[in-house]
Amino acid sequence: MKRDLTMNELTVNDLHLDYGTGATANPILKGVSMHLQKGEVVALLGPSGSGKTTLLRAVAGLESPKQGTIAIGDRAVYDGAKNFELAAEHRNLGLVFQSYALWPHKTVFDNVAYGLKLRKMGAAEIKDKVADVLKNLGLGHLAERYPHQLSGGQQQRVAIARALVYNPPVILLDEPLSNLDAKLREEARAFLRELIVRLGLSALMVTHDQAEAMAISDRILLLNNGKIEQQGTPQSMYETPETLFTAEFTGSNNKLPAKVVGRDGNRVQLDVTGARLTGTARGAGQAGAEPTTIIRVEEVKISATAVDNAIEMPLLTCMYLGDRFECLFKSPDSSAAGLRAYSKYKLEPGRYWLQMPADKLWVF
Amino acid sequence: MQTLTLPGSGRRGPGINWLRGLVVVLAATAIFLPLFLIFYQSFLTAPFFMPAKQFGLDAYRFIFDDPDFSSAAKNALYLALGLTAIAVPLGGMLAFLMIRTDLPGKGFIAPALLVPIFVSPMVMGFGYVVAMGPVGFYSVWAKDLLGFIPWNIYSFTSIVIIAGLTHVPHVYLYASSALKSLGSDVEEAARVAGASPLQVMFGVSLPMITPALAYAGVLVMFLGFEVFGLVLVLGDPEGHMVLATYLYKLTNKLGIPSYHLMAAVAVCLVMVTFPLVMVQRYLLKSANKFVSIKGKGARSKVMPLGQWKWLAFALIFGWLMFTIIMPLSGIVLRSFVEYWGEGVRLVDVLTLQHFREILDQPSLVRGIVNTILIGVVGGALAVICYCAIALAMHRKPDMISRFLDYSVLVPRAVPGLLAGLSFLWVFLFVPNWLDGILQGMDNGVAVWLSENAIPVLRSLRSTIFALWLAYSVVWLAYGMRLISTALLQVGPELEEAARAVGASRGQVSRDVTLPLIKYGLLGAWLMVFLIFEREYSTGVYLLSPGTEVIGAMLVSLWASGSTDLVAALSFINISLVAIGLGVALRFGVKLHN
Repeated sequence: MKRDLTMNELTVNDLHLDYGTGATANPILKGVSMHLQKGEVVALLGPSGSGKTTLLRAVAGLESPKQGTIAIGDRAVYDGAKNFELAAEHRNLGLVFQSYALWPHKTVFDNVAYGLKLRKMGAAEIKDKVADVLKNLGLGHLAERYPHQLSGGQQQRVAIARALVYNPPVILLDEPLSNLDAKLREEARAFLRELIVRLGLSALMVTHDQAEAMAISDRILLLNNGKIEQQGTPQSMYETPETLFTAEFTGSNNKLPAKVVGRDGNRVQLDVTGARLTGTARGAGQAGAEPTTIIRVEEVKISATAVDNAIEMPLLTCMYLGDRFECLFKSPDSSAAGLRAYSKYKLEPGRYWLQMPADKLWVF
Repeated sequence: MQTLTLPGSGRRGPGINWLRGLVVVLAATAIFLPLFLIFYQSFLTAPFFMPAKQFGLDAYRFIFDDPDFSSAAKNALYLALGLTAIAVPLGGMLAFLMIRTDLPGKGFIAPALLVPIFVSPMVMGFGYVVAMGPVGFYSVWAKDLLGFIPWNIYSFTSIVIIAGLTHVPHVYLYASSALKSLGSDVEEAARVAGASPLQVMFGVSLPMITPALAYAGVLVMFLGFEVFGLVLVLGDPEGHMVLATYLYKLTNKLGIPSYHLMAAVAVCLVMVTFPLVMVQRYLLKSANKFVSIKGKGARSKVMPLGQWKWLAFALIFGWLMFTIIMPLSGIVLRSFVEYWGEGVRLVDVLTLQHFREILDQPSLVRGIVNTILIGVVGGALAVICYCAIALAMHRKPDMISRFLDYSVLVPRAVPGLLAGLSFLWVFLFVPNWLDGILQGMDNGVAVWLSENAIPVLRSLRSTIFALWLAYSVVWLAYGMRLISTALLQVGPELEEAARAVGASRGQVSRDVTLPLIKYGLLGAWLMVFLIFEREYSTGVYLLSPGTEVIGAMLVSLWASGSTDLVAALSFINISLVAIGLGVALRFGVKLHN
């Protein structure tokens, strides 16, 4: 698909980055390309060590890539071929740190105002703008406080206010929610999404939490080992993963010890410990004789009677999760891991049929 | 299974810890007896050994009426303030450039920075005289080029500038360790907000290490009041004095031993330094207030300075040139030339004569041997003593530990010159006093002690033991810092585990704590070696045949004007320090904390 490049707020092309040089060089990014359009929120998702934070820091100018290009709008900020690198302070981006990195010796007002002071704005105008952005973030009454007098959630909002105050074209968020308590995190997630939509921000966000990525972003870039594994809308990433890595990273899954016994186009006939099941082949590479077969936990349907495309297993135990039960099924003689499924009600001990819809049983 | 019991485990409760008691009593005696003598002497109207002494304030009256004293006190204040005003901002900026930016040449600047800390100020002062004095090497070369000498290092302003610049590394050490523990994310946040490296430094980095800078500021101000050698050498030609040099010159001034006057000056000096030491202790506690935990992105890229890179390098190189290269090269050159002056060609006057002369004088050879001995053997013994005191305080939060904790700071407030003087008095006074008591007692043991032990005690004064004791006490606070830093590395649970399996406190120390801090102790030994090689003022009053050390001899030879010998001895002293530093760098000993 050919895109109009001028619409992009941020373009990264074939970016390579090593930690260390020479013999000790450790490649972190191995040719990453991405773009971010105006008003779009892109999440960089991946396990630790996948290079997502490094990519964000390279965009911010805090890491030096080895080759490739980075452009903000139509302004190149890094070009490996020309050996050109714009210093971080000239990139005019907003960055929200994972640790918030608020300056402890400045008040909330001074923290937010600093970027404007550096831009030689008049005192009265600074006052107005800071008051404006603080009000926007619900911090209007805290301007004279010092960071250590604020709660974690408030500190995070100050960090966001500080990054937004000079209207950067792109705002970069490094694991913005990971420093908050679990309860607070859900509220902050909703707040962040609301803020992004209300102010029409273009944002690039790093996270290792797939739920967070799917909730906040318009598009997800899944990084694996310095490369982009798959990208797309949260829905397409969750519902139609192209690789096993994507499928495993985006949801909770059951893995089945299945053998392929026959194929018919996309349909795959499987043998799971004696039972015959029909699954769907996914991914570019055609699976071999012993592929990995997985199904999302929530797609497994529990039935007390025999049904189509199901395996029969005894119930081992049920775990109460509040809104539902997570039930673990396992054959006593089998060494393989059991199967997990959700149930609205607590199940009686006994044998059940676990039905797996053919289009949800993925064979990679 | 039967529980295996420890032998003697039926005994209830710990008995009195005699070993700990002994350590505490000895330490307290070594710390407070000399100090007490200074105070006692200052309130006498004559030296304590004179029969005609009585209590009175004559000594204070005399010095407060002496115009030299008030000018020395004023100078001392100016020197301390000026030194702080120069060293703190420069040290802070230097630390930022070294730790956070892509400054070129960091590899060789870092070790060079340590040189002014470990080279004796007496040697530095002498180095400035031979390098930049009226007929110094660089002065003569400047005169050849320019037709005049563009500086006068004997003016008081020059002395303040030199003292300030040579104390930059002290501030650097504290500022750099504070910067290292400061998460770089706060600086990155400023850079992303649009701040240039310079703006980051003044807007974020330096304000955030304010507690460390404040501590370093008080430290160098305190060191400013202690400055002795530099002013002794550079202030002499124009008659500039500070309190320490005033004290030293009192004897010459009156021509008689004026111990009561010296004690009064000493008390005045301690009255200034003691509060400063207490402020330091207070600030050290708050020094880590702003330090933030490093985030995940701790692996930060250094800040590119861009076109400022070479300007920064040039400024730092200029500083290195002035504070290290010029004085030290001056000494090296001077120690290998016969004489020097205008119109002399360097190659014509090269000689090894001065070193031969040193070898011909037994007292000088003894001085060199003593200096090495006191550094190597004395350093090891000092570390053992420091370690004993530290273990007496280790994980025993009681009154005795608190008492020791404050006590070890006390000698820090007593400048080396005074400490040497007070130990001289201890060795003069205590045997007399004990003898008096013993002769008053009429029994066989007392008579035997009076006839045998007292002469031994008297003769201690002219042995190197006296000097070692003075050195060890003067550097007690410093040594304790080294040991306690090492002790802090030992997790309490390791010791608690040993207690749980049945080890007594002594066994825990011997079998767990000490083996774990082995390398810390070796590092401390090296550091103590370095400062004992550097020390000069403590030995000044203890100098007698048998106790010569290079530092004290430099002071006395300088007073008698033998420049050649001073140059050669300074060269030897620098070499010893260089060997110590080389070993330290080679084995990666942390030269500061």
